[in-house]
Amino acid sequence: MSWYDNAAWISVSPRLITARLITLWITLGVLILATAITALLTQAAWVWTAPAALAVAGAWASWIVVRQVTAHAWAETTDDLMVKKGRMFRSVTVVPYGRMQFVDVKAGPIDRALGIATVQLHTASPGTDASIAGVPADEAARLRDRLTTRGEARLAGL
Amino acid sequence: MNSHIYQAPREWTRLHPVSPFLGGWAILGLLLAYWIHQYLPDWVDGGDEEFSFFDQFPLLGLVAAATLAFALTITVSYWQWRRTEFRIGDDAVYLRQGIVTRQQRQARLDRLQAVDVVQPLLARVFGFAAITIQVAGGQKSGVELKFLRLGDAEALRNEILALAAGVRGTADTGDDAPVTPGEDVAPASSPGLIGHPLERPRTAVAAAEEREVYRLPAGRLLGSIALSTPTLVLLATPVVALIAVLGFDYDVWGAVAAVLGTSVVAIVTALAGLLGYFWTRLNGGFGFTAGISADGLRLRHGLTETRKQTVPPGRVAAIRLHQPWWWRGQDWWRITINVAGYGEDQESVSVLHPVATREEALLAVWLVLPDLGDPDPSGTLGHALHGRGDEGGFTTSPERARRVDPLQWRFRGVRATDRALLIRRGRWEKELFVVPHERTQSLGLTQGPLRRALGLANVVVHSTQGPVQPVAAHLAVDDAVALLDAQAQRAREGRRRQTPEQWMSAVGLEQEATHG
Repeated sequence: MSWYDNAAWISVSPRLITARLITLWITLGVLILATAITALLTQAAWVWTAPAALAVAGAWASWIVVRQVTAHAWAETTDDLMVKKGRMFRSVTVVPYGRMQFVDVKAGPIDRALGIATVQLHTASPGTDASIAGVPADEAARLRDRLTTRGEARLAGL
Repeated sequence: MNSHIYQAPREWTRLHPVSPFLGGWAILGLLLAYWIHQYLPDWVDGGDEEFSFFDQFPLLGLVAAATLAFALTITVSYWQWRRTEFRIGDDAVYLRQGIVTRQQRQARLDRLQAVDVVQPLLARVFGFAAITIQVAGGQKSGVELKFLRLGDAEALRNEILALAAGVRGTADTGDDAPVTPGEDVAPASSPGLIGHPLERPRTAVAAAEEREVYRLPAGRLLGSIALSTPTLVLLATPVVALIAVLGFDYDVWGAVAAVLGTSVVAIVTALAGLLGYFWTRLNGGFGFTAGISADGLRLRHGLTETRKQTVPPGRVAAIRLHQPWWWRGQDWWRITINVAGYGEDQESVSVLHPVATREEALLAVWLVLPDLGDPDPSGTLGHALHGRGDEGGFTTSPERARRVDPLQWRFRGVRATDRALLIRRGRWEKELFVVPHERTQSLGLTQGPLRRALGLANVVVHSTQGPVQPVAAHLAVDDAVALLDAQAQRAREGRRRQTPEQWMSAVGLEQEATHG
């Protein structure tokens, strides 16, 4: 049962794990802090279950993030860009370069601090989900240029 | 239609001066509501408070206010009309409009997806029409010109289609090339415009010759509306009431009386959803005619608002044939299409046939895909429409799919011809997707934990925005991966040989249009 294991997959940067964990734990941290303070103030032992539950959920979510990021990869074949995502709900998207309408490169503050970016390829279909998160910034620029050049070479209208 | 010859403007031109008066009639609706309230007996609106709004004003004041509002609407429309101008270039249609915010728009003709000539009721009464030019740029990216005289609008459409088809290019090389310039050329009105053969025969470009392929009889349309979910709901209501009365001793008459007691308007409002559905189906499907011409598909339909659509060859990105359970006896199919630029607007524009018989369904597919890429197209489509299992070369869901898809696993099937991918599903309610390979945007393979445990996967074909979203669900993983690979390869080949954007430079279209 193959799932495109033999394609030349390029994994996204592990720094994406850091980026996602930071976002996750900032939100969770605020919640845990709030519940912990409540527990301290009320002096009731059972209130401590809230921050504990949050911490467990956070640990589980972190594990998911690690699993997801390590499963996220892209491959450039001669005619198509392939993007692989997810472990539990996994998907592979194959986008021909000639179908490309435009390419987005996006990076938020955390992404920029870590030197990664999201590259997204758009076709005329709203269903095409070809975004690659966590591409190293310089590689993202190169990838964008490469995709644009290949798209022009194989341009095929709609 | 008219005796004068309309020529598409090359300079900035305003629309027809009557345009501002063809809008802004909503105010009349308000007057009508007032009149109903004033002169009809109480039981119509139940004399409730909603309408007592009007009672605060004397009749004269209300008429004055309505007149003022009407005048204001007309003034604004007039001003808008003054600031709206359009012109035609060789490669684009230009539009500039707006009072406060000026907007300039350029619709490139090589990206042209469809041209519609629309006649809303009022415009139709007076012989005017609006023209919408759809380009591939998502929703609201088209150019809408309203209003022009009907004849002018059609002439403009023909000229736009001729330009977009690349007729100009062939005319330059074909007609003008053998003639040495300055020798045998007729004294053209503007000799400097030799590159503009438009000056000669296309002052009023004749519409490309059209052959009618099918026409929907009104009886079948009404039948299809009678056999639809809202009708069944409507019919089921008394039955439910009867059961409630007999079985549960429920005081239905009391309830009915209570509802009737409030007002008829309330009931009308409640029925508005249903009536709206019936109305859109009736209005959109009335007199539905499809034809083929060198400029592509021509669809015309409409009861009060008529619409003539022209979709050039190769602009249809996907087809969906759908048969609800209660249409099975007649073997009727509703056929919708994806055309980039039409966007999500399904009911009025994205219908290829509201109620097709089986023969017409095959014809409709042929209209879009004259060559299905299969030696036996009708046999293959027959298997696609009604088959089950792997007869006809379909790849089906494996038996283990029964656990997630107990009803239809046997009926799911995928088959690729040389030109298109066919995806079939449904036991009682049937559905068939036809996606031309060269129109496939991208492909996806998805799998959740449940399907993973069963070794199944879905193949998603991404098409342009529209009502058709083809998915081949619950295939065996190996089949799905193989299909994805093969389909990527086929889409690649399809793109290589697809018809050019300027469709008249393609060879053989006219021959195809004249047979069958």
